[in-house]
Amino acid sequence: MEGLRNDGRRWNELRRIHCQLSTSSTNADGSSYIEQGFTKVLCNVTGPAEPSSRQKVKQDAATVTCEVYFAAFSGTDRIKRGRNDKKVQELQTAIQKTFASVILTHLFSRSEITISIHILSQDGGTLAACINATTLALIDAGIPLKDYVCACTSGQSTSIFDNEGSTPDPWLDVNYLEESDIPSLTVATVGETEKIVALSMENKVRIEMLEGMIAVGISGCAKVKGIMDAEVRRYGKTRLEAATGE
Amino acid sequence: MTSIKRMLVDPSSNDSITSKVYIRSAKSGKVTKIVREIYLRTDIPCSSRLCRACLANAPVDSNNRSRPFVLSEKPAGTTQYKHGHYLMPDTNIFLQCMDAIEHKSAFYDVIVLQTVLDEVKNQSLPLYNRLVSLTKADEKRFYVFHNEFRQETHVKRGQEESINDRNDRAIRVACKWYQKHIEQAAASSSATAPAIVMLTNDKANLAKAKSEGLNSTDLNGYVKGLKNADELLDMISSSLQDLEKKANRGANVYAEYFSLPKMNTGVRNGTLHQGTFHTSTYNSLEGTVGVPSFDKHLLIVGLENMNRAIDGDQVVVELLPQDQWKKQSDKLVDQDTLTKNENADVDEVEAIVTERERRALIDEAKRIQRSQDESQKVQPTAKIVGVLKRNWRSYVGHIDPNSVNRAKSGGQQVVFFRPLDKKIPRIRVFTRQATQLLGQRIVVNIDTWDRTSRFPVGHFVRALGELESKEAETEALLLEYDVQYRPFPKAVLDCLPSEGHDWIVPEKGTSGWEKRVDLRDLLVCSIDPPGCQDIDDALHARLLPNGNYEAGVHIADVSHFVKPNNAMDDEAASRGTTVYLVDKRIDMLPPLLGTDLCSLKPYVERYAFSVIWEMTPDAKIVNTKFTKSVIKSREAFAYKAAQMRIDDKSQTDPLTEGMRILLMLSKKLKQARMDAGALNLASPEVKIHMESETSDPASIEVKELLETNSLVEEFMLCANISVARKIYEAFPQTAMLRRHGAPPATNFDDLRSQLRARKGLDLRVESSKALADSLDGCVDPQEAYFNTLVRIIATRCMLPAEYFSSGTQAYPEFRHYGLATDIYTHFTSPIRRYADLAAHRQLAAAIEYEALDETLYNKNKMDAVVKNINIRHRNAQFAGRASIEYYVGQALKNKSTEQEGFVAKIFSNGFVVFVPKFGIEGTIKVETAKTYDADEYILELEDGRKVVLFDKVKVMVNVVKEQATGRRKTELTLA
Repeated sequence: MEGLRNDGRRWNELRRIHCQLSTSSTNADGSSYIEQGFTKVLCNVTGPAEPSSRQKVKQDAATVTCEVYFAAFSGTDRIKRGRNDKKVQELQTAIQKTFASVILTHLFSRSEITISIHILSQDGGTLAACINATTLALIDAGIPLKDYVCACTSGQSTSIFDNEGSTPDPWLDVNYLEESDIPSLTVATVGETEKIVALSMENKVRIEMLEGMIAVGISGCAKVKGIMDAEVRRYGKTRLEAATGE
Repeated sequence: MTSIKRMLVDPSSNDSITSKVYIRSAKSGKVTKIVREIYLRTDIPCSSRLCRACLANAPVDSNNRSRPFVLSEKPAGTTQYKHGHYLMPDTNIFLQCMDAIEHKSAFYDVIVLQTVLDEVKNQSLPLYNRLVSLTKADEKRFYVFHNEFRQETHVKRGQEESINDRNDRAIRVACKWYQKHIEQAAASSSATAPAIVMLTNDKANLAKAKSEGLNSTDLNGYVKGLKNADELLDMISSSLQDLEKKANRGANVYAEYFSLPKMNTGVRNGTLHQGTFHTSTYNSLEGTVGVPSFDKHLLIVGLENMNRAIDGDQVVVELLPQDQWKKQSDKLVDQDTLTKNENADVDEVEAIVTERERRALIDEAKRIQRSQDESQKVQPTAKIVGVLKRNWRSYVGHIDPNSVNRAKSGGQQVVFFRPLDKKIPRIRVFTRQATQLLGQRIVVNIDTWDRTSRFPVGHFVRALGELESKEAETEALLLEYDVQYRPFPKAVLDCLPSEGHDWIVPEKGTSGWEKRVDLRDLLVCSIDPPGCQDIDDALHARLLPNGNYEAGVHIADVSHFVKPNNAMDDEAASRGTTVYLVDKRIDMLPPLLGTDLCSLKPYVERYAFSVIWEMTPDAKIVNTKFTKSVIKSREAFAYKAAQMRIDDKSQTDPLTEGMRILLMLSKKLKQARMDAGALNLASPEVKIHMESETSDPASIEVKELLETNSLVEEFMLCANISVARKIYEAFPQTAMLRRHGAPPATNFDDLRSQLRARKGLDLRVESSKALADSLDGCVDPQEAYFNTLVRIIATRCMLPAEYFSSGTQAYPEFRHYGLATDIYTHFTSPIRRYADLAAHRQLAAAIEYEALDETLYNKNKMDAVVKNINIRHRNAQFAGRASIEYYVGQALKNKSTEQEGFVAKIFSNGFVVFVPKFGIEGTIKVETAKTYDADEYILELEDGRKVVLFDKVKVMVNVVKEQATGRRKTELTLA
């Protein structure tokens, strides 16, 4: 009530985002770590490299594969998710499809780019955090992309009281509590454009509300991009200084 | 290289984010630790109109609006705080004194801290809802300050600090911040700063606040500085006042309740039973609990076994051994006779069972021994071992004059409060204004019922006015049945069309006409009771070229004006129905809609929702069509006028012909319904004529039924059934339907044995058809009224009809027993019933006129809607009946008459007489009866007269002021 959400944010505010590049540079070509609130995701990228199996060879482009691992301790209840878990597969497919369309795969024919994601903690917006982490890891690996892919969630509050009887505000970047309470969607855009590369929603919502939710989500993507870009530039600068200083 | 570590590098962000850790344990015994983020901010306004700084950076929502500031720049002062003050109460103040806080005379400009609001929510949801509605309403200027989210006022729980201490500290911190903030704000606008007054009854907290230099006081101290201190002090929960007295109370009157886990285990493994407790209407020492594992209700006898349960409470019971099982009492016992001379002030602990009670119980036991042979009549008995959920609410009643010590003028005393509802025990109330409250209708809330107290303890809420004044009694009645009677708030009125009474149906082809059929050339008319303003329905009929008839029912298109989920819809949903009292109508919708824009008034164009059938001359439906339409009613008839028009052979205009067709068809519809086994039940309906000038009741007459009444009724039933089928087809899970369960045969046991014994008649109850037929056979050639009497009694054996959403019942359970139809709904009165409005919306969606709102296809939300309207519907009926009863009492005041009555029920020490002329019923008690034949239902009086069940008796109808309720009531005595 009074326009504040249960964690003290207003309708159009993101949670704290902390991101980092090159977190495990020894065993991956690119890696990243992102925290969005208490959602924490670690991403490693290897490749472009020789495809691990024959089936993955494409003559004119690189294959993008994605593996997602949920840590058993990542949610409130301890749940082990295996390779064939529905949710794991869903996430893998969503991320794989998204990045296959954004990576300039035609530059690396007959090779494979592997994205492996570890979800360490879930507090809402898991898919969005995964996508953002992947973007950073790909940048770290030096794989050419069309632009940043930034993802964000938005939800439609329903019960917030409203004197004027107009539709209630959509909420940006929902946390776990809100996610289980209200309908929400994840949207990913290419850079700061309004071009949507991924859109997923698992609940029902009235069609009139959808436009507002997507609009808020897109504005959130732009904010996320700013934060990620700043971190990439900061990291690039330190690397550059380190290189030239020596 | 960098590694992953707990990263909060930026020290500034360190300040603004904190986390909340809490541990949640589930019912299954599982424990989870949850960590949540909290974002601390600096833009939460203080909401004082004095403050410019907060106003400048007030936050906005997605439409760029900010909330207006709440707290006034010149708050009221008290003797203590001359420059005005803002109040900041703690949690317990809200929990214990909500009634006083809601009072109009005090408690303005209140800061409700988020900490406090959350605590109130955890402790009591009803109180939380009341508090929230206070903060939403403008007039009391309550502001919720989110102290937990503001950087300066957020408080982290220290190690070893209890949650309560932390919350108390949070309140003090917020108070301190406010004080400083307001001082600054006042200084910048060179005004005197109002004081921030922390209200708490916690002594430790008070002391700490004082030492920190905060303004703080306890509630008593604060209220004493106000003008009407006595009244306000009375409204404070007695649990607060009574603390010191409680300590030196004596022995316990009642057995202790079982612990919750013990009850849960007991219920699960079948040693205990759970159900709702109901006090008997005739005997205040007896109640019943219906539990799933027994066919018969479990009997609870005596106050000790009732163990502080009040009518409607959810209780857990333990069965008593079989040798203590009893027959249901056939005696009349009311509280009055039992506790006439008790003193409210003295808790007679030693006399747990007073002498009178004991005597009543012994009588009872004797009677049971005598009738040992009829073992089938014995009911299992039980005692209550715990209350799961209290059904306490506000009670309306008056102060028992006998319990008031008139000599004691000032100071507090304890008095007895007698609720109007006889099922509720008397309540002990602490008051400082006993003498003023005598002779007043007042409202009281129950606070507690301790083991040490024979009666529950409550506190005064407000006075409604003089006993027997029309305003007070009407308001009492509305409160008692929880009818919302306050005027519609502005938010609701804002939802009305801006044209007001000048609104007209727009030109054809403009907006509003989409998917609407033009039916203005049909000869439509409405038939209603005389003086009816909210005309829901209109009818038409005509002969089709193929020899069939077209008949149409047109219902006011309320759903066009009341859109889902706006303020008006919410208000209508919570009111549920229009309540009709004798002299007053409490509308569900604002009168502009109900009596004008929606009402299908004659000679003007109106939006309607039409059901149009093609019927064969035998009234078989060939084809049904549903459509939104525009109609123009040609005439609004009263039942009588319509009847005369139809009977008048000289009238041959098409409108009259149409009505004749309708009448012809309705007779055939009725016959078909009767053949299917529909019941024709009787309920005594009377009409009260008012004197137009004084609006005092003048005379009473029994309602007359004409053919045209049944004409309208038949077509409405027909429309309801057609609509029910359609919406069930479209929404099999959530269609708004109405069902009437078949009553269990045991309900009729008494009536059957009575009829067999007295008249040698047999009542067959295996189906509604059999019942209808055998009811027709219940005639006494000497007494024409006997049949009606049996019908009235039979009606009382029925179950009430109820609304339900189709997903909650299996199809065979949809049956409407009374109307003998497999499916039914309410569609024809959307102006006065919310169920009909819901059915309208579902039908509109079913014919693809508009999309359906979520509330009507979401099962859970639908269940909530249905539950509410069932309660409202029942309460409206009770209120209506109570109003008639009250006015009958007023009309017969000072007119003692001798009337014919019939014995409807018989007890060993009294009997119930029904007087058809006034539609009233009264109990006549016999102090000493000579003999009572329970098998033949004959009671022989001292003077040798015999009272026989179902027989005619002459009674005197008097009106007396009833001691127990302070209300004028008819009293019957044998003439």
